Amino acid sequence: MDTAHIRNFSIIAHIDHGKSTLADRLIEYTGALSAREMENQVLDQMDLERERGITIKAQAVRLEYKAQNGEEYMLNLIDTPGHVDFTYEVSRSLAACEGALLVVDATQGIEAQTLANVYLALEHDLEIIVVINKIDLPSADPEKVKHEIEEVIGLDASDAILVSAKTGLGIPDVLEAIVRKIPPPRTNLTEPLRALIFDSHFDSYKGVIAYVRIMDGSIRPGMKVKTMASDKVFEVTDVGVFRPALRNIDELGPGQVGFLAASVKNVKDTRVGDTITDATRPAAQPLTGYRKITPMVFCGLYTVDSVDYEALRDALEKLQLNDASLVFEPETSVALGFGFRCGFLGLLHMDVIKERLEREYDLSLITTAPNVIYKVYKTDGQVLQIDNPAHLPSPQEIEHIEEPYVKATVIVPNEFVGAVMELSQEKRGEYKDMKYLDTTRVMLTYHLPLSEIIYDYFDRLKSSTRGYASLDYELTDYQESSLVKLDILLNGEPVDALSVIVHRDRAQYRGRLLVEKLRGIIPRQMFEIPVQAAIGNKVVARETVRAMRKDVLAKCYGGDITRKRKLLEKQKEGKKRMKQVGSVEIPQEAFMAVLKID
Amino acid sequence: MTDLLGVYIHIPFCRQKCFYCDFPSYAGLEKLFDDYAAALCREIDRRSGLFSACRVDTVFFGGGTPTLLPVKTLTSILETLQRRFSVLGDAEISTEANPGTIDRETLRALRSAGFNRLSIGVQSFSDRVLQAAGRIHTGRQAIQAVLAAQAAGFDNISIDLMYGLPEQTLQDVSSSLRQAVDLPVSHVSVYGLKVEETTPLEAALSAGRVTLPEEDDELAMYELATRFLPDHGYLRYEISNYAQPGKECRHNLKYWRYQSYLGFGAAACSFFADERLTNTMDVREYIVDVNADKSPVAIKERIEKDTAMAEYVFLALRTKEGIRFAEFFHRFCVDFPSYYMEEIKTLRQQQLIYVTAHGIGLTVLGMRFGNRVFAAFLPKKNK
Repeated sequence: MDTAHIRNFSIIAHIDHGKSTLADRLIEYTGALSAREMENQVLDQMDLERERGITIKAQAVRLEYKAQNGEEYMLNLIDTPGHVDFTYEVSRSLAACEGALLVVDATQGIEAQTLANVYLALEHDLEIIVVINKIDLPSADPEKVKHEIEEVIGLDASDAILVSAKTGLGIPDVLEAIVRKIPPPRTNLTEPLRALIFDSHFDSYKGVIAYVRIMDGSIRPGMKVKTMASDKVFEVTDVGVFRPALRNIDELGPGQVGFLAASVKNVKDTRVGDTITDATRPAAQPLTGYRKITPMVFCGLYTVDSVDYEALRDALEKLQLNDASLVFEPETSVALGFGFRCGFLGLLHMDVIKERLEREYDLSLITTAPNVIYKVYKTDGQVLQIDNPAHLPSPQEIEHIEEPYVKATVIVPNEFVGAVMELSQEKRGEYKDMKYLDTTRVMLTYHLPLSEIIYDYFDRLKSSTRGYASLDYELTDYQESSLVKLDILLNGEPVDALSVIVHRDRAQYRGRLLVEKLRGIIPRQMFEIPVQAAIGNKVVARETVRAMRKDVLAKCYGGDITRKRKLLEKQKEGKKRMKQVGSVEIPQEAFMAVLKID
Repeated sequence: MTDLLGVYIHIPFCRQKCFYCDFPSYAGLEKLFDDYAAALCREIDRRSGLFSACRVDTVFFGGGTPTLLPVKTLTSILETLQRRFSVLGDAEISTEANPGTIDRETLRALRSAGFNRLSIGVQSFSDRVLQAAGRIHTGRQAIQAVLAAQAAGFDNISIDLMYGLPEQTLQDVSSSLRQAVDLPVSHVSVYGLKVEETTPLEAALSAGRVTLPEEDDELAMYELATRFLPDHGYLRYEISNYAQPGKECRHNLKYWRYQSYLGFGAAACSFFADERLTNTMDVREYIVDVNADKSPVAIKERIEKDTAMAEYVFLALRTKEGIRFAEFFHRFCVDFPSYYMEEIKTLRQQQLIYVTAHGIGLTVLGMRFGNRVFAAFLPKKNK
C-alpha cells in the first residue's frame, strides 16, 4: 500500500475520559475484530489494566478502513497510557505517529493530563483532532468544553467531533477526520531503512518482539538489520502487524507500523527509542528518539523470606523485558538483607510493578518508603546522587543538598482554590500562576519539591477537593533545601530501611507521627520496645510498644490437640509475614508506614 | 499396641453452662442421661474387641459434669469398662466433679465403686467471682466438697482454680491459693481464663457489660500461683498443673507424653498409632449412631510424621521433663538436636528454652511465652 493511504495516530486523554472505549469502538467499527472477539478494553491486556481501568503499556492495532471517498486506508492506532506516571510511554507512542485524537470528557472538560498530553503531541508536531466524548450523558456541555480548549490550549475547536464512545455515536466522523486531517507519513523510498522502536515485549519462542514504525525503507524476513545505538546485527525472522493479535506479513513498508522479531535474546539489544537500519546499507543518521526515561521515584524491594531473593531478581528481569522504564540494582539493608533498589516513573508505576510481582510471581514483598534522587554536595567537593536515605553521608560531610522540583499543574473548581493553595504552601510549594479556564474552573501552577508529591500531596489534593482536582507534574530543576535524615530506632537499634530524608522544619513533626504509627503497627513482643525517631544523635520523638505479658495456651488436653495445633499454625503463619530485625519482629506494612501517615 | 492405654469417658452434661465455657457440654438434657449412659456402655462394649491385648492404667471421667449423673450410672459405666478392658488394679481412676453436685454420700459411693481420684472444679473460693463466672456453687460449698471427699476416703484430690476471671482481683487469687493449700488437696490446676468465641462471656465483654482484670494484674495472678504453690509443696509439673510429689495426674501425663488413649462418648477423642478420632459432639446423634451400631466418629485424622513430631514437641514441652532426646529418637528415629538445630539456637538465645546434654525444656520465661516455642517447632512447609 502506498504511503498516501496510511495514517498513524494515537489517542491522548486524561485518565477516565474514555480513551480505551474509543479505541474499542474504532476497532469494532472497522472490523479488525468481530463483535464476538470484542472484549471491553481490547487493548488493555493485563488483568491489572482492566481492573484499574487504566492503560499501562502502549499497544498498537492496525485498522482497515474504506473511507467515504471510496478508497481503502490503513489506520495504525497506537494506544497510550493516560496516567501522569506514564508520560514517557505517551511520548514514545507519539513519536511513531503523525496525528493524535485528543479526547476530552464532555462532562469534565480539560484536566491536567489533557494539557500535558497535548503539549507532548505539539512537541512532536502532530496534527490534533479534538474529540469530545460522553456527549450522551445528561451533564455533557460540549460548548463549554470547546471554549476551554480554545481558551486554554489555543486549538481551534470549532470542528471538534462530538462522540459517545459508549453508544458508538460519532465514530464514523472520527474515522473520516483521521483520513482527512492527519497527514500521511512522509517517507523517502530511496533512503536506507530507518525504523523507530517504540515498544517491545518478550516472547519465549521468538525472543524480543520489537514494535516499530518504519520511517524510511522497508523490512522483510531474512534481512540483516542493525540497531544503531546498541550497534548489534540481527537477521529478521518475522515481520507483521497488529490485528490486534500479531499477524505475520511479508513486508513492512514505509510509513507502516508493525513488529519484527529477529531472535533477539536480550531486550537491551533492542532498546525502545533505538533506530533499526539495514545492516548492509546503514542510514547515516539515527532518528531522533524522544524523551529519555528518567525514573523519578525509588524504593527498596525485599522479599519477606530471604530465600526468595533470586526469584525476585528473575521476576524483575522478566518485567523489565516489557518495561524498559523499570530500573533496578541490588542493594543490601542491615535490616532487610539482600534486595533491590528500584526506580519507577511514579507512584502508580511503583504500585503496579509491586502488585505484578506479588500477583504474577507469587512473591511476598517488603517495600520501603519511596523517595527521590537527592544531589548531595560534599565538603570535599564530591557530588553524590542519593537514591536511598540510608546512604546519605553524615551531616559533617555534607556541604548542602539539592532536591528535585517539579512544575505542578492543578486544575480545580474555583471553590477549592483556597484549599489547594493552603496544601501547596504546606508542601513547600512556590506559587507560580493562576488562570481561569472558564468562570468556574481554575488552573494553578506551583513549583513544588517532588518528594512532597510522592509523599502525600496527591492523596491530600484529592481529599481536600472532594476528588475534583486533577494533577500533572514535570520535573524542572534541582534546588537547595534544608534536608535532614530522620532515623527510626527500634529497641535502640537504627533500622536503616525506615530512614527517610525530610525537610528540617518538618522533621520533628514527621518523626512524631511516624513513631506513633509504628507503635500501632508493631505487634507486642516479649519485651518492651522503644520506638524512637532521631536526627543524628538527637531523639526527637519516642513511643513504646508495651511488652506482651503472656502468650501460652493454658490448657491442652487429649481432645483439643488438633485444635491447639491449628491455633499455633495460625500464629506461625502471621509471624512469617514479619521481618526479624535484630530482636524485633516487624510486619511488612511498617516499612510502608513511613509513606502514609496522617 | 502393648502400651498401657488411657481411657477417657466424656459426660457432656451440665446443670448450667459457665459463661466462659466452650466445651462440648450441654445444660437441660437430663432426659437423655439414661440413653446416653446406655450408649456409652454399648460403645465401650463394641470397641473393646480390638484392644483386648491392651492394659488400661488410667481412666478419666470428664465433662461437663460427670457427677451430674447418678452415682449408680457412673458406677455401671465403670463396671462395663472393667468388664471389657483389662483395667489394672492400681489404675488411676479419676472423675471430675462440681462442688454443687456432690455430697458425702455420693462421694462415698464413688470411692467404693473404684474411683480413686477426684478433680473438683472450684475455680475460685470467692462467691463474687464465682457468680460473675456463672458457676453453680459457692466458695463454702467448694470447701465442703473437698472435706467431704477426704472423709469419703479420697486421698488424691485435685482442684481447678482460674485466674483472670471477671471481677477477680489479685487479692482473690491470693486467698483462693491460700485456701487451696489449707485443704487436703494433693493437686492443683491453675488455668488462665481464655475468652472463647461465641461464649456468653465474649458477648458480655464486647457489649461492655463486664471487664476483665488488667493485663498486668493478670500476669501478677499467674506469677503468684507459680511461686506460691511450689512454696507450699506443689511442684509445677506442667505449665498449668501443680502436684505434691507422686500425685501428678497420670492420665493427663499421657496426653503430654503423646501416649495412646481411647475416648468414649460424645466429642471424645481417641489417639493411637497415627490416628486421631473424634466422636460427634451432638449428644443425640451419638446415641443414635451407637444404637444403630454405626461409628460415632465424626473426624478421622491421620497424623503425618512431621505433624506428629510437632505435636509431640508442643505437648512434651508443657511438662517439667520437657523433651528427652533419647525418647524422641526412639519414637521418631530423628536426632532432635541436629534436626532442630536452628530452632534450638534461636529459642535459646531468646532464653525461652534451656538445653542440656539429654534434652530441652522451657525456661520460666518460656513457660510464659510457650506458644512462641511451640510454633517454632511446627512442620517446615514446602521450602
